[in-house]
Order: sequence, then structure tokens, then C-alpha cells
Amino acid sequence: MNKIHPILVLLIRILLGFIFIYASYDKILDPGKFARDISNYHIVPFGMENTIAIILPWLELFIGIGIVIGIFLDGNVILSGFLLLLFNFLIFQAMIRGFNIECGCGLKEGELVGWRKIIENFMFLGAAYIVYISQNRIFEIYPRNLIKE
Amino acid sequence: MDYKKQILSVILLSLFIGIIFNISRNNGIPLIAHPLEIVDEKDGVLNITTEPTIRMIDIGLAQKLHKDSTLFVDARAREYLAEGFIPGAIANDNIDSLVVMISALVGYDKMFVIYCSDDDCGSSEDLAYELQSFGFNYILVFKGGWKSWSDAGLKVMYHE
Repeated sequence: MNKIHPILVLLIRILLGFIFIYASYDKILDPGKFARDISNYHIVPFGMENTIAIILPWLELFIGIGIVIGIFLDGNVILSGFLLLLFNFLIFQAMIRGFNIECGCGLKEGELVGWRKIIENFMFLGAAYIVYISQNRIFEIYPRNLIKE
Repeated sequence: MDYKKQILSVILLSLFIGIIFNISRNNGIPLIAHPLEIVDEKDGVLNITTEPTIRMIDIGLAQKLHKDSTLFVDARAREYLAEGFIPGAIANDNIDSLVVMISALVGYDKMFVIYCSDDDCGSSEDLAYELQSFGFNYILVFKGGWKSWSDAGLKVMYHE
């Protein structure tokens, strides 16, 4: 898809990347709090929330950095899309099970699970999709458009 | 490098850095979480401690502690307090104000009980850890919280 202006794609990348970087910040600073947020979803086998809380924020950070500076862009964009879908699944299952819990998403403190969060994640997913399908990318350090070649 | 290798590289890098960083930091957490210990009177829950402790209690012990005038702290958001609250419980969305209130009422070493909506809410545990970081040593989390208290038909209060 070449219709989207490369500058616009770059701006979308910067926005999406910084969202992931920002979301990782508090989780890296306080993994204990993030582990409890994960535990509140009651879906992770007990004990594993700590493992996830240790690794996932770094994954978000590296995804964000990769998207912004253009390293492993395809892989990072696919990962970001997968995570956003996973987050939406987790939020949705919490909602239908009646859990009135903190999202633990890292963007806004105290934000509860709900449709607003799901719609927000779908918007980010749309941004990831635009980056993924765009052919005319600029400022992509390594590698360059491998999937489409 | 195709996108599968890229994904694998990013995941492995996160795994490596995450674990190394967690091991090297002061507030690192165990790789596998341990559940809060559920205690009753037989475990000496009524003793005063100076070791930082967060433990979980059930409705039976919560009822007894309430009868003994133990301080209860409601961890629910302000809007939920309209549903009612455990008599005598204090609540404040501002953590600094809450710290002042609790320290004035019971000090830092005497136990108090935190509760939230039900079994599935996590705000009581979150608040317990947050208050522990302010120096409160002995915190009990009431499993079941407001739902189990009100379902048991125990006395509740409402804001006027």
C-alpha cells in the first residue's frame, strides 16, 4: 500500500512507539504492582504473573523503541498488534466475568477495564496495521521492508 | 532477517534484560509469585509485630477483629462507598491523607484490616503493599471484602 504518505506513516510510528514506551515505564519501575494487576485478571496460572511482570514491560519498551527508530520494524509492529489483541481479550474476559479491576495498562493510573480501553486498543491496532502495510517507509534503520521484498 | 527471527530476537532480548534487571535491582520480585498467607487466630494473628507483614483473613476473623475495635480501611473508590461500608471503616483516595489518618489512629506497628469489593478485586492488596512502603508493619487483607460482609448480613453503615 503506497497511498499513505511516508511522513504520515512515520508520525503514526512515533505515536505508536511512544505509547508502548510510556506504557512500559511504570511497569518497569514497579513490577510488584504490575504483577498484582495481572493477578487480578484471574487468568494467569498462579505464580506466573511475576514472570510476566518481569518480562512484558521490557518487551513493550523494546517494541516501542524499535517502532520509533525503525529497527526490526515488521517484527515489532506484528508483536505490538499481537499484544494489543491479547490485552483486549484479557480486558473483555474480565468484563464479562464482572471483574471491576484496574486495567494495569500503564497509560493512566487507576484506569479500570471497560469498552473505552478496548476501543483505544483497537485504534492502536489500526495504527500498527497502517505501519505494517505501508511500503514507502522512511527512517527505517534495519532491516528495510523485508516482508514485502 | 525475516519477521519471525525479528520477533524471536525481541522476545529473547526482553527475557534476558528483564530477568537480569530484576535480579540486580533492590525491589526485584521472585520469578514465581507466592500467595498471601491466609491466617486465623491459631496463627497468632493478634500479636503485634515489627516485621513488615501482609496476611489475609476470612470473614470469621474479620468479624472478630471488628468486634475488638480493630481499624478497618476501605480500599474501594469513593463512588462505591455509597453502597455502604463496614461500620467505623475509614477511606481516603489520597494516599498521603490516608497514611496520616492510619498513623494517628493506630500507629505503624499495630494491625489494621484493609478490604475492597469482593474476592476478585485487587485494590485491597495494592493498598496494603502501598501502605507497607510507607512503613506500616502489620496489615491484614480481608478476603471477600465488602461483598462477603454484606452477604453475611452483618451491620453496615451508609453516608448520609
